[in-house]
Amino acid sequence: MKKIFYPSINETLYTGILDNGLEVTLLPKPDFHKTYGLFTTNYGSIDNEFIPLGHDSFTKVPDGIAHFLEHKLFEKEDEDVFQKFGRQGASSNAFTSFTRTSYLFSSTDNMLENIQTLIDFVQDPYFTEESVNKEKGIIGQEIQMYQDDPNWRLYFGILNNLYPKHPLHIDIAGTEESISHITAEDLYLCYNTFYHPSNMNIFIVGKMDPEQLMQFIIDNQKQKEFVKAQPIERRFPVENAKDIIKEDQINLSVSRPKAIVGLKGLDDVPEDGFERLKYQTTLQLLLQLLFGDTSESYLSMYNEGLIDDSFSFEFTLDRSFHFADFSTDTNEPERFANQMINLILKSKDSPELTERNLNLAKRKMMGKHLKSLDSLEYIANQFSGAKFGDTTLFDLAEIIDSIELDDLLAAQEAFVRPEGLSRFFIYPK
Amino acid sequence: MTFELNKQVNLHVIPTEKYKTVRVLVRFATPLNKVTSSQRSLLASLMETNSLNYPDQVALSKKLSDLYGAGFGIGVSRSGNEHYFTISLNIINDDLVPNGTSVLESSVAFLKEIIFSPNIKDGSFEQDTFNREQANLIEYINSIFDDKQTYAALSLQNLFFSQSSSQRTPSFGDVETIEKETAASLADYYKEMIANDRVDILVIGNVAEGYVERCFKDFGFSDREAFSVPLFYQPPFQNVIQQKTESLPVVQSKLNLAYHCDIFYYDDLYFALMVFNGLFGGFPHSKLFLNVREKHSLAYYASSALEPFRGLVTVQTGIDGNNREKVLRLINEQLKELVKGKVSEEDLHQTKVMLKNQYLLGLDNQRALLEQAYLKVKVPVADISQEEWLGRIDAVTIADIQEVAKSVRLQAVYFMEGERN
Repeated sequence: MKKIFYPSINETLYTGILDNGLEVTLLPKPDFHKTYGLFTTNYGSIDNEFIPLGHDSFTKVPDGIAHFLEHKLFEKEDEDVFQKFGRQGASSNAFTSFTRTSYLFSSTDNMLENIQTLIDFVQDPYFTEESVNKEKGIIGQEIQMYQDDPNWRLYFGILNNLYPKHPLHIDIAGTEESISHITAEDLYLCYNTFYHPSNMNIFIVGKMDPEQLMQFIIDNQKQKEFVKAQPIERRFPVENAKDIIKEDQINLSVSRPKAIVGLKGLDDVPEDGFERLKYQTTLQLLLQLLFGDTSESYLSMYNEGLIDDSFSFEFTLDRSFHFADFSTDTNEPERFANQMINLILKSKDSPELTERNLNLAKRKMMGKHLKSLDSLEYIANQFSGAKFGDTTLFDLAEIIDSIELDDLLAAQEAFVRPEGLSRFFIYPK
Repeated sequence: MTFELNKQVNLHVIPTEKYKTVRVLVRFATPLNKVTSSQRSLLASLMETNSLNYPDQVALSKKLSDLYGAGFGIGVSRSGNEHYFTISLNIINDDLVPNGTSVLESSVAFLKEIIFSPNIKDGSFEQDTFNREQANLIEYINSIFDDKQTYAALSLQNLFFSQSSSQRTPSFGDVETIEKETAASLADYYKEMIANDRVDILVIGNVAEGYVERCFKDFGFSDREAFSVPLFYQPPFQNVIQQKTESLPVVQSKLNLAYHCDIFYYDDLYFALMVFNGLFGGFPHSKLFLNVREKHSLAYYASSALEPFRGLVTVQTGIDGNNREKVLRLINEQLKELVKGKVSEEDLHQTKVMLKNQYLLGLDNQRALLEQAYLKVKVPVADISQEEWLGRIDAVTIADIQEVAKSVRLQAVYFMEGERN
């Protein structure tokens, strides 16, 4: 077990990789009542084509299966895990993203018991045809609920334009049609491949005794047998800039149109973890300078009534994709998209890109970063995302500090390409 | 610790070393009213956008960046018969600031600017800002319709509070009243609010009480009168169940129910009410979740919630339209089970453990601690120790829960009918 102290934020991390490959990270927060535990596999909705453990050729599984598996892991032969956590005074939940599935609990008592429940239930699958079929009704309702959420539809609208072949464009829960094909056998196939300890990590933060807790987890894992790890091979459809759908729209039950502009990253992101986090942070700062609420572009669009408080933008980087999106509610969706695209294309020469503005944006980002360290959930989610190798959230202050104007210009040059742009609109029915 | 700055203007400071941030809340309170709810909502939009010395958003946002990315917002809400206009500010601890300057001190000056120097000249808000924020707020209110869960909840509220226009109106006001405001009339209302509202300033974080008191000592408020409406709103019980069905072009249907309940915040039966709600639809082991969702797969969500400041218990479900009658029957059955006291020892225990867990989790959350501190001042019987709180949950019996369940009576049914039928 390694112990790392970060003096500037007064935090101490305990990390270790167990014999079976499981990565464990502990962050004690002695003043808190709460302990928050997150058990994560590096497996999400986009991983629908892969070589199953012990096989030698690729298999394609139904869309929405990672999320389906997440639901089903809570059900055991003799009990429901939600209820077990409940009896131990813990709340539990789980979520599936494009690239991860995480299981969590938060409790103020019975910490070791809850951690044991977390680890054991995720490592003990129980799927039957009957229970799989029953779940289809519940998940069907969940999918319907998201179908009625205009912001969700807007987001997937632009993803469908930018990634028409890549599974990123598919709703994380799949479709009512696709989940109808899921069988217990499919679930075991995915489980055995992606829930191997070497593809997983545990992050626990809050009230704890770190030495005792680490030993507890080591002992727990020693009692279980796992087949030898194999590198996981995933496959994604080949896609290039020509595949991008430049524009699309749908009609929904909304009071006001919505518009989103997407910019797909066609450049290669750095392999090295530190450099990759620096690339992400640089692009976040770049977008902040260009379109944040301290920019003249923002002010003029706001004053013209082209955007309102619903305007937002984000840069997203993860396993096998990176893109930026810019969205708003607006009465003039076309004009918003045109103006946004124009600003993006001309961003190299933007008057906003000054030392002074960069320093202000860095100061803001640093403050927000420090504030985020009060949220145990945020810290845990960032760490278990594990997108940056050995570089973590706790290195972010150093990265923010190191970024200069030239870095922004270089990132702009690499990321902003006209062929990566697309737009999507929602109009009232 | 509480300091009286002026009559009806109080500063509450909660020092703790637990956090990297300091959170400040300035809350203006007044009796709930349909017209002023709208005025305050519009005022919140304007005062959040700019001020006399930060005349546009860029100037204001740059100031917030300068304060190390201070989080700043103004919102409106309500509790029973009171309406709140709340300014919140979230900053990093001074000991994390690299060059030893005090962000807290600068933040207090910033708050002073926001509160006492809005963008008013010659008795009117700056006209362009006013027009834009008025239009944006109207668009925002109209767009609530787009979020079907919120829309269903507001429609239900409209049915349940058919006899009170102030309770029926959402805390952020209504389009009709907002349209009538002018830059001059709103400036008049601003003066009224600043002069007459009860004000509480709450600060939590790694701060010294004396230092915070000095920061706010001559903040600029004057004495004011206490107002005399009771905090709790007691809705009249109606013999007829209000019903409304609305067909909308959506996929999922929604069935929402409102129940009359005579038990209020920290009443004798309040702890039993919380346990009742946990068993009825508050947790994943509740009767609604287990029966409507897990056993019959009829819904993705099916839950209940309390509004203990205005005598209301609600149930919300997202279902397939065909199952309306079936779901309604199931919900009624679950309530009847509770009236009969059909609760296993295990479920009772689990509910109590979950409520205690929620309570302790709240003690880690700055925002929740500030709200708790506010309520403890306004509802003195709520000022109990951690031990007493946990003890009172433990003391709840099945007979208490039956008593609560008997007093929960259906008053309104809202059904949003989707296209999938």
